[in-house]
Amino acid sequence: MNEDLSFEQALTRLESITQSLQKGGMTLEEMIALFEEGTAIAKICHQRLNTAELKLSEVQTTFEKDAESEESA
Amino acid sequence: MQVYTVAQITGYLRDILESDGVLADIWISGEVSNLSESSAGHLYFTLKDEASQMRCVLFNRKRLSVEMENGIAVVAHGRISIYEVSGAVQLYVDMIQPTGVGILHMEFERLKAKLAEEGLFEPSRKRPLPAFPERIGIVTSPGGAVLHDITNIISRRYPLVELVLAPTTVQGESAIPGIINALNALNDRGDIDVIIIARGGGSIEDLWAFNDEKVARAIYFSKAPVISGVGHDTDFTIADFVADKRAPTPSAAAELAVPQGSELELRIQNFVTAMIITLAGRIEQNRQHVDDLADTISTQVKNAVSISQERVRGQELKLYSLSPIDTLQRGYALVQHSATGELVSQISQVERGDMIKVQVSDGQFNSRVTGAKKVCSHE
Repeated sequence: MNEDLSFEQALTRLESITQSLQKGGMTLEEMIALFEEGTAIAKICHQRLNTAELKLSEVQTTFEKDAESEESA
Repeated sequence: MQVYTVAQITGYLRDILESDGVLADIWISGEVSNLSESSAGHLYFTLKDEASQMRCVLFNRKRLSVEMENGIAVVAHGRISIYEVSGAVQLYVDMIQPTGVGILHMEFERLKAKLAEEGLFEPSRKRPLPAFPERIGIVTSPGGAVLHDITNIISRRYPLVELVLAPTTVQGESAIPGIINALNALNDRGDIDVIIIARGGGSIEDLWAFNDEKVARAIYFSKAPVISGVGHDTDFTIADFVADKRAPTPSAAAELAVPQGSELELRIQNFVTAMIITLAGRIEQNRQHVDDLADTISTQVKNAVSISQERVRGQELKLYSLSPIDTLQRGYALVQHSATGELVSQISQVERGDMIKVQVSDGQFNSRVTGAKKVCSHE
């Protein structure tokens, strides 16, 4: 699986792999290849959910620190 | 010295009056008198107090939240202009409230009605929230517990995102331009999937920036869908009405913004299970198919063999039926000329005194021809 896939893309791919398998009409070799891809994606999805750390950043605004210090709501 | 026409001066007055910011958006209290209604349904009246009076006209009766009659005390909102036909300065009323209602509540109701009429709250214009956002903008105060709560919840539920804080004051004079600036700063980036605009609970005065018309319009024009999470669940602000999604609290807004990780885990697990079941089923099916083929082949071979055996048997029987042994058993004999060895089938082949061999079913014996006599056939 491509590591660059977003989580959403990975989940979509996993869903479509599952549906293709269920639809049938392919050789056992093709099915096994898809199955391997699918389980690899599932593993990466699990890993991402469990190891990701929230990223925090900030945009520049007109906010001034001084103005806020007197009102921490 | 220039001489003006009356129309020029009333027009000039109108320009002055309508360019004044205070007169364009004003609340006036007074007592209703000279109330009349035109055939078109417009209300004309005078607002007066001890010292003075002002002509008023109300074109839109939907904005009445009070039963109009002469002598009642009201607070009217509208703009001041001049009716050039009569030269009268008057208040063009767009909302009337009974006195005694707080001015903030009146302003809230007025703005809510106005923006609703403009379509800012239309359900059809609410945009769906992205199912899997990658970048979430947060418009709130950087110091408060609100940001902390939002960060915690999102980190726990779905840590795959980047939170982009657009810091602003959320109450006081600077909050209105601050919130608008923060929204614009996030939208200018062009990569924000959804924006949470949040503030903790407080009085109507504390939350006032979220009831501001300019803030409402900034939310309306935001490129990214906006989730409002302002105050407690009993507080409703104009921002809540115009936002694409209203959350009762800042924490609830955070929950609405991201999917739940544990549900996703379950979903992924379900896909894996479905894949395993499908593949195992297919393998079992293949095995079954191989078994079936083997059965078919072995049955066919057996059939082929038994058909061959049948045939051999049939040929054998046929052969037996053609063999002379059967005939001999029925009492016929095979006669052979002893000297030449040829089979004797006609009397002309033998003469008296010739030796012949006679074969019967269980053996043969020698014999001598003593005479011959022709027998006529029946034909």
